[in-house]
Amino acid sequence: MSTAQSTAQLASAASSEVMIEINRMNKWYGSFHVLKDIDLTVHKGERIVVCGPSGSGKSTLIRCINALEEHQEGEIIVDGILLGKNLKNLDHIRTEVGMVFQNFNLFPHLTILENLTLGPVWVRKMGKAEAIETAMMYLERVKIPEQADKYPGQMSGGQQQRVAIARSLCMSPKIMLFDEPTSALDPEMIKEVLDTMVDLADTGMTMIVVTHEMGFAKTIADEVIFMDEGDIVERNNPEKFFGNPEHERTQKFLSQIL
Amino acid sequence: MADVTNAKAIVRERPKEEFNFFQDQRVRSAFYQILTAGVVGWLVWYLVSNTAYNLEARGMNTGFGFWNVSAGFDTDFKLIEYQPGVGTYGRIFMIGALNTLLVSFLAIILSTILGFFIGVLRLSNNWLVSKVALIYVEIFRNVPLLIQIVFWFIGVFSLLPVVKKTIDLSFGTGRVLLNNRGLYFATPIPGGLFWMTLLTFAIAVIGVIIFRRRAKKLQEADGTQTRTLLPSLAAIVLLPLAVFFITGMPLEWNVPELKGFNFVGGTSVPPAFLALLVSLSIYHAAHIAESVRAGILSVNRGQSDAAMSIGLPSGRVMSLVIIPQAMPAIVPPMISNWMNTVKNSSLAIAIGYSDIVSLFMQTALNQAGYAVEMVGMTMAFYMFISLTISFFLNIYNKRVQLVER
Amino acid sequence: MAIVTAQKTPARSAPISETSVLGWLQKNLFSSAFNTALTLFTLYIIYITIKGTLGWGIADATFVAENRRACYDNSLTGACWAGVIDWLDNIFYGRYPREEIWRINFGGLLLVLWMAPLWLSRVKGKVLVGASVVVFYPFIAGYLFAGGGKGLFMQFMISGAIVAFIVNMANTLTSQLKNQSLGVFVISALGKTTAPDKSQRNILLLIVAIMFAVVFVWQTGWALEGISWTKWGGLFLTLVISGIGMASSLPGGILLALGRRSKLPVVRVLSTGFIEVFRSVPLITVLFMATTMFPLFMPEGFVLNKLVQVIIAVVLFNACYMAEIVRAGLQAIPKGQFEGAHTIGLGYWGTMGLIIMPQALKHMIPNIVGNIIGLLKDTTLVSIIGLFDLLGMLRSISKDVPWLGLHKEPLIFGAILFFIICFSMSKYSRHLEVKLSAGNSH
Repeated sequence: MSTAQSTAQLASAASSEVMIEINRMNKWYGSFHVLKDIDLTVHKGERIVVCGPSGSGKSTLIRCINALEEHQEGEIIVDGILLGKNLKNLDHIRTEVGMVFQNFNLFPHLTILENLTLGPVWVRKMGKAEAIETAMMYLERVKIPEQADKYPGQMSGGQQQRVAIARSLCMSPKIMLFDEPTSALDPEMIKEVLDTMVDLADTGMTMIVVTHEMGFAKTIADEVIFMDEGDIVERNNPEKFFGNPEHERTQKFLSQIL
Repeated sequence: MADVTNAKAIVRERPKEEFNFFQDQRVRSAFYQILTAGVVGWLVWYLVSNTAYNLEARGMNTGFGFWNVSAGFDTDFKLIEYQPGVGTYGRIFMIGALNTLLVSFLAIILSTILGFFIGVLRLSNNWLVSKVALIYVEIFRNVPLLIQIVFWFIGVFSLLPVVKKTIDLSFGTGRVLLNNRGLYFATPIPGGLFWMTLLTFAIAVIGVIIFRRRAKKLQEADGTQTRTLLPSLAAIVLLPLAVFFITGMPLEWNVPELKGFNFVGGTSVPPAFLALLVSLSIYHAAHIAESVRAGILSVNRGQSDAAMSIGLPSGRVMSLVIIPQAMPAIVPPMISNWMNTVKNSSLAIAIGYSDIVSLFMQTALNQAGYAVEMVGMTMAFYMFISLTISFFLNIYNKRVQLVER
Repeated sequence: MAIVTAQKTPARSAPISETSVLGWLQKNLFSSAFNTALTLFTLYIIYITIKGTLGWGIADATFVAENRRACYDNSLTGACWAGVIDWLDNIFYGRYPREEIWRINFGGLLLVLWMAPLWLSRVKGKVLVGASVVVFYPFIAGYLFAGGGKGLFMQFMISGAIVAFIVNMANTLTSQLKNQSLGVFVISALGKTTAPDKSQRNILLLIVAIMFAVVFVWQTGWALEGISWTKWGGLFLTLVISGIGMASSLPGGILLALGRRSKLPVVRVLSTGFIEVFRSVPLITVLFMATTMFPLFMPEGFVLNKLVQVIIAVVLFNACYMAEIVRAGLQAIPKGQFEGAHTIGLGYWGTMGLIIMPQALKHMIPNIVGNIIGLLKDTTLVSIIGLFDLLGMLRSISKDVPWLGLHKEPLIFGAILFFIICFSMSKYSRHLEVKLSAGNSH
C-alpha cells in the first residue's frame, strides 16, 4: 500500500471529499477479462492521468465511471451514488460526469451553439436564453466564441475538441473524463487542446485523463496511474512516476514511449 | 485505500442502492416487455376469437381436411398429372407452386443474363450505347410492373396470329410454333442408343475440367499459357454431336401438329406464361443492370489503373481484377432481385396464369372456402422460398467476409 | 541544374480534338471500327423505334372520334387516343360527381400550398410546417373528399387545420418579405418586443385561440355533400391510397426499426418477426388477406369497407419495408453519436429524437423516395381486387361500349403517366442526394 500512502499525502491540493470510489471492480467483454479487481479513489479537485499500453483497459475504466459500459462485479460510487440498476441514479451520474472523446462526437447536424445548449435545455431544463449565455461563456473560455454559428464539419480537429470540452462544461459537471482527447489530432493542434485542459485544471475541476501526452501529465497531474492488462500497476505522483518508477512494467512502458 | 486518515476524514455512509421499484432498470425492462407481449398477445387472442366466432356463425369450413378432397375445376397449365374431379386440392397447391417456381426460375435466368448485358452496355465508352441502355433502365423501372404484364398479355401475346396463321420460329421445321394460344415446341424422345451421346457429353465435360486444371497448373509451374476456351468448347459440343450422328441420330421429336382447331403433341405454354416471363425478365433486368453497374463502379478507379500499369490486357483487367471485386457488391442486391422476381410472379393473377396465388389462393379458395388456411398456406409458401434464398445469401456473405479478412 | 524555364508558360487553348463537336464525336462514338459499327447499328435501331412510335402514336393516330369504329375509319395503323381523351375525367377522378370535382382539385392545391414553404430557404420553423401537414392535412383533406356530416372531433380538427394553414401562409409571407418568423413579426407589430418571454407567448396563444374560435363558429355554418368511397377512382384514388400509405408507413417503420434494434428481447423478436413475415410475401397475398380475412377478424356487426381494408394492408406492408430502410439509416450513424448523447445526459427518446433520427433521416431520403416510388407503382395492384384506381379505370375503358376492346392505348397512357411521376421523383431524389452529400462535407 505504499502507493496509496503517498497518494494521501500528496493529494493535499485536493480536498478530502471523495468523488469517485471504485472497489474491487471487474469487467469482462464476453470471456475476456478487461478490468481486474480495480480499486481507485479520486478526491474532489484531483487531477489524475491514466496511461498504459493500448488494450490495457484504461479507456474501459473511465467509460465504466460514466456508465457508458456496464461492469459486472464490484462497486463504483460516483459523487456518493452507487452505479447499479437504478435508472434515476444513472441519469444523475451521466449529467454530473462530463466526458470528452477521442473522436469528439460532436453532433454534425447541429451548429456549435446548438451542440452546447442541447444538454442544458433538454436535460437541465434551462431557459433558452440562459443556456445560450452559458454556452457563449464557455466558448469564450475555450477561445472560439466567433465560431458559434458554424457546424462541426467546418472546424479543425483542435477546434472541435475544444467545442466538445465546452459542451461537457455547459452541463456544469462535477467530474470530467477525457478519453485520449488528443490522439486523433494533428500535431499542431494538440497544444491548443492541452492548453484548454490546463486552464480547466486550474479551476479545480476533478479530472481523469487517459492520455499519452507525458509532458501534460507532468504539468497538471496530481497522480499518474499506470495500467497494464487490466491491472492498475502503479499509482504515483508525477515526479516519482517519471523519475523513479517502481514497477518494472512501468519502467518498460516509460522506456518505450519517452 | 482505507488509510487516508491524515486529512479530516468525512464520515460517510457507504451508499446502499435502495431498491426503487419504479426506477429499476430490470423492472423497467421487464415491464416494457410484458406490456408489449401483453398487447400483442391480446390482439392475437382478440382476432383469433373473433375469427373463430365468425367462422362458426357463417358456417364456414375449417381445418386442413380439404387437402385430400378432390377439386372440381381444371387448369390450363400444369407440370404434373391432374384430372378435374379426381385430383385433390393438395394437387392443386402443388401445381400452383410448381408453376410459380417454373416461371420465376426462367425469369431469374433471363433477367440475370439480360441485366448483366445491359449493365455492361451502361458502362460502354460508346456514348450512344450507354444512353440507350440508360433509357431502357429508366423506362422499365419507372412503369409499374403490373401495367407491363397486362400490356404484354393483352397488347402483344393475345394479338398474335390465330392458330391457322401460326408463326413458325424454327425455320420451317415446325418444331417451335407461336400463335395466340401460346408457344408450342417439339419435345425430344430419346431413342435406343441416345445414352451413348449423353455418355460422351459427360466424358467430354469431365475431360475438359481435367484439361483446364492441368492448363492452370502448367501456367503456375512455368508460365506456359494454353488456349483453353476453343478446345473445351469443341470437345463439349463436337464430340457428343459426332457420336450422335455415328449412332444414327437416335432422337425422335414429338412435333405439335394441327388437329382440328388446335395443335396436339409436343409441349405448349399459354400466352399468359409468355407475357409473365417476358415482362418479369425485362423489368428485373433493368434493376439488375443498375446493381451490376453500381457494383462495377464501386470498385476503386485505382484498381483498374494498377492492373493496367502491370500490363494486363483490358479483358483480363475486367475478369481478374474488377469483376471479382465487384461481385460482393453485385450479388446481394441481385439475390434480393431474384426474391422480388418470385414475389412479383404472383401478379400472374391479373392475366390468369395458374400460379399459386391465382390457382390456389383465388380459385380454390372461392370453390372450397377455408380462407384462413389457404391464405396462410400461400403466404407460408412464399416465406419458405424467401427463407431459403436468404439462407444462401447469408452463406455467400459469410464467405465473402472471410475472404476479405 | 540550371534554370529550365525562366518565365511561366502561358496556358494555351486545347487542341480541337478536346473541345470541338467533331472531337467529341470521334472520341465517344467513332473511336474504332467496332465502335463506329456499333454506333451506326444503334442509330438504325433508334431510327426504326422512333419512326414506328411516332407514326403509330402521333402521325397516324386519331385524337377525336365518336367511338372505336370511327377511329378505324380514320386510320387503321394508328393509335386511337380518342378513347383515352374521352375518358380523361374518369382516369383522373374516377366516378366522382362531376360538379364536385373542385373539391379534389382544391384538396390538392391546399397540399401544394401547405408544403411549398418547405422548399423556400428563408422560411423559419420548417419542422413545425411539416408537423402541421402530417397532423392536420389528413383531416381537412379527408372531409373535402368524403364530405357528409361532421362529428365534434372532425369539427375540431378541421378548424385546427384551417388555422394551421392560415398561420403557415402568414409565416411564409413574413419570412419571405421581412425575413422574420410570424411570431416575431406579430410581437414587434404590437410593440411588445421588450415584454418577457412568457407574456409574449401568451399573446401569441391568445391570437391563435381567437382565430380558432372564429373559424370554429364559421365552419358550423356549412357542410359538404357526402360522397361514397365507391365513387372514388382513377389517379385520385391511387394518390389517396399511396399518400396515406406513405404518411403512415414512415412513423410505423420508425417504430418497427427501433423495436428491431431494441435491447429488450421480447420487443426485438416480435418486431423482427413482423417485419420479416411481411417482407417475404408478395403484396397481392397481403391484399387478399385483407379482403378475405379482415372481415373475419372484426367483431360481429363491424364492417370495414374495402378501401379501408386495402389501406390497412398497404400500410402494414409498406411499413415493414420502411423499417428496413430506417434500420439501415440507423446503422450508418456512428456509435460515438450515441455516446456523445449519453454523456450530456439525454435519455433514449431524447437521443433518438434529437440526435440520431435527424441525422439518420437525412441519410435515408434517397431510399425513402425510392420506397415511395415503389409504393406508388404497387398501388396498381388494388385493381386486381376490384378497386378502380388508375389502372382499374384504364382497363375499364375497353369494357365501355363505344370503346369496346380498346386495350393498348389506355395502358400506354397509364405507363406514360406513371413514368412521368416516378421518373421525376427519382430524378429529384438523386438531386437531393447530391445536394445533401455536398452539405455533409461542410
